[in-house]
Amino acid sequence: MELLPGTLDLLILKTLRGGAKHGYGIAQHLKVVSEDVLDVGESSLYPALQRLLLNGWVKAEWGASENNRRARYYTLTAAGRKQLEREREDFERMIGAIQKVLA
Amino acid sequence: MKILRRLRYLLRQRQQERELAEEIEFHRRMSGDPRAMGNITRAREEARAVWIWPWLQSVWQDAGYAIRNLRRQPGLALLALAALGFAIGINTSLFTVYNAVAIRPWPVKDPERVVKIFSTDPRHEARMFGGIGIAESRYFASQSRAFSGVAATRQEPVHFGFESFGTPSWAAFVSGNSFRVLGFRMHLGRGVLPEEDRAQSPEAVAVLSFAFWRDRFGSDLSLVGKQVHIDEVPFTVVGVTPEDFTGASDGGGRQDVYLPYPALLLLHPTEQWPRDLLTDAEYCCEFAFGRLVPGVSRSQAAAELEVLDRQFRTSQGTGSRTFTLADSAMFNNPGRKRQMAAAFTLMFTAGMLVVLLACANVGNLLVARASARQKEIEIRRAIGAGRARIVRQLMTESLLLALGASALGLAIAYKLPLVLLNRIGEPGALRLAPDRVVLAYATALAVFACFSFGLAPALHATRAVASRRLPLRNLLLAAQVTLSVVLLMGAGLMLRSLADLRNRDPGFAIEGVSTIAFELPARSYDGAHTQAFYRQLIGAAPGGHFGLTEREPLGNSFAQTDFRPARTPETSRSLIDFQVVTGSYFDVLHIPILAGRNFTLSDKGRNVVLINETLARRFWNGQNPVDKTIVSRQIAREIVGVVRDAHTTNLDQLEPIFYVPFTGFAIPKVLVASNDSATVESIGIAVTRLEPRARMQAAPLRNNLDRWLRGPRLGAQLAGALGLFALILATVGMAGVSAYAVQQRTREIGIRMALGARPAQVVRLVLSGSSRAVVIGLVAGFAIALPASRLLRNVLYGVSPLDPVAYLSVALILAIAGLAASYAPARRATRVDPLTALRHE
Repeated sequence: MELLPGTLDLLILKTLRGGAKHGYGIAQHLKVVSEDVLDVGESSLYPALQRLLLNGWVKAEWGASENNRRARYYTLTAAGRKQLEREREDFERMIGAIQKVLA
Repeated sequence: MKILRRLRYLLRQRQQERELAEEIEFHRRMSGDPRAMGNITRAREEARAVWIWPWLQSVWQDAGYAIRNLRRQPGLALLALAALGFAIGINTSLFTVYNAVAIRPWPVKDPERVVKIFSTDPRHEARMFGGIGIAESRYFASQSRAFSGVAATRQEPVHFGFESFGTPSWAAFVSGNSFRVLGFRMHLGRGVLPEEDRAQSPEAVAVLSFAFWRDRFGSDLSLVGKQVHIDEVPFTVVGVTPEDFTGASDGGGRQDVYLPYPALLLLHPTEQWPRDLLTDAEYCCEFAFGRLVPGVSRSQAAAELEVLDRQFRTSQGTGSRTFTLADSAMFNNPGRKRQMAAAFTLMFTAGMLVVLLACANVGNLLVARASARQKEIEIRRAIGAGRARIVRQLMTESLLLALGASALGLAIAYKLPLVLLNRIGEPGALRLAPDRVVLAYATALAVFACFSFGLAPALHATRAVASRRLPLRNLLLAAQVTLSVVLLMGAGLMLRSLADLRNRDPGFAIEGVSTIAFELPARSYDGAHTQAFYRQLIGAAPGGHFGLTEREPLGNSFAQTDFRPARTPETSRSLIDFQVVTGSYFDVLHIPILAGRNFTLSDKGRNVVLINETLARRFWNGQNPVDKTIVSRQIAREIVGVVRDAHTTNLDQLEPIFYVPFTGFAIPKVLVASNDSATVESIGIAVTRLEPRARMQAAPLRNNLDRWLRGPRLGAQLAGALGLFALILATVGMAGVSAYAVQQRTREIGIRMALGARPAQVVRLVLSGSSRAVVIGLVAGFAIALPASRLLRNVLYGVSPLDPVAYLSVALILAIAGLAASYAPARRATRVDPLTALRHE
């Protein structure tokens, strides 16, 4: 299923709120929590992560993965946490408005 | 900061991309999804584009917009480009010279490991940085673990068969390992080989420098293997050095041909000194350089040399020395460092003042333009552009101007240094072609300039509340006046100092004296022959005065040796100038003997000296020094007379000097008390009768004075050019501010005139706006110039840094320029027609 434009950043930030994760971990988390509705591919996930890095909302560090491979872990920065709050409010206002229209 | 993160990404782009690829690869492997294969490249491309693409696009947009904007006002763009381009050009030229003199290493393999080696004798009172003897350099080369090689070299003038008088070529005599220590690819053939450096079997091989091969041999590719004649000795050319290698020297002297050390024996077969030089362990000093073994620091290497030096010299029974290692830049001698730093500090200070002045000027132009663009900026803000975005747009324009100016500056710096250096002498081995360092300097200067002239106007223009009055303009005007005052002061003092030098009485006769320089065939004239030649010449002297001297007055060379009054401790000896002359030298130059007597022929075989007044005062304050004894070079010498002080070595200061009678061991210059060509010729005829192969050249002594003045004259011209530039910019700035004031207040002027204001009152109104800024600028300028002019102390002759004439003239010149700049706008103001003015807007 296609994501609403602009929501992927929000979902990634929200996912990282629970702690550091690598890219694959983020995709898995989205898939599991959404009960297989959200299947984010590399071609949208990694540009989004780079965008978040550029804006300073997340930072990346290399570490060992659960099966002992080298993996890049993303964590939320203080600015990222604020951004998450902001995007979340915007999103809720937007959803509320859409629902009002649809109701 | 987003820009910093972006910059960091760009700096480490390759690593960042590798990490991204690895990350995606990891993702694919974890998901085990073969379908994802095709997406990897796309994912990478898109992820990468996040960092660069949108930013690049907006930069492109801004640049395009900026160019259109600048083209709309070509006058402003040209003025800004000219002012900034000149300022950056001056600075970059200066830096080009500095780079060639003090930064740029020799163009050799791994230049950071090649060092110049200087020795210091701690027992000497003056800390002098000298070289090392050939024997010791060979000892170092064989024993050192810190150096992979230690080489020695010296420079001597030689004559190629085709050369005319007075234009010797410079031969660098090198140890056999020199080319290996330096390490570069020869342009043709090979370098000097170790087996050609044996004193027992001198080899007549020559390596030509690229420039010499190109200019004198027309880049003859078949020259290698052929013979050339140097001082009438046939040498075989074995190679040509690469084009960018201009020599390995201390002080940047020209090197035209490289010969193995033992070739000195071929060129001077009858003389003793080349033999001593090559074999005597005590013979000092050659210029030495070495290549460090990778991983060895300079201090380690210097410490090792000290140990080796002690080993070497205790076997010779002499004291030990300390060593200093320096980069291979052309003028990098620790003994000259402070002097050079002072000179360049002065020049860079002036250069930076010019840049700041140009920035203040362009800044003022931009403020004026921004106020004209106020509407456009307001509209852009109204449709949602953030302040930062508009500032960025305005800054892009500034940056374009600055980069354009820096390109112009680089073009200036490509030519100017060579032109200027040719005026004081030849630029020798300096490599003045701009390199990456110069390019980086010009760019950095452009960015610095961009921020200093662009930022304030941009911030000013985008303020939320735009005020009518523009104090920024007056502030920038005051800054311009301040900087102009400082630059003009520098120019004024330098010009005053040059005038003083030119009018100074040198204390000896310059007019009506000629000098004759000789060249005798070197191979047939050893010491004894030369002596015989001059004894005969003096005997055969035609009518009229002439004197012999080893060094011409103001000939830009001097010699010093140790000197102490007898019966004082050896440690109290000082280094004092000395001159070797015949007694008639003083007659020809009209330097009177104040006490005692002149040298006479009966002095032959006695150790006598004459001293000048300054030297007499220094050691025998008040007492009569005649008949006293002094010790120099371990020989007791009797003072027979005192001569009047004369500026023979230096036009600026009177140095203590003593004179030793001419004995004929070195080839002297002849001073003739006449400018008449027949008289000069008669000496030539006498010489040719004695030695038909002798070559000589006569010149008026006046030439030496002119040559001596070249440096101060060039300094004054440069300072004058900067001062003139400052004056022009300040005048343009003042005119601009006045014109703007008139334009802004046309309506007010109209009303005042309608109410009966007289033209004089209107003029006063116009002038009052900028005159306060000018006065503040003048006061600040003098407040800075007063202490700053002390920087010039070392280049000013006979003029105090507080010279009132210079200060008054600068104030007067600026006042006149200010009035002239306001004249046209003020005149326009008095012609305002009240009716038109009131209808205005």
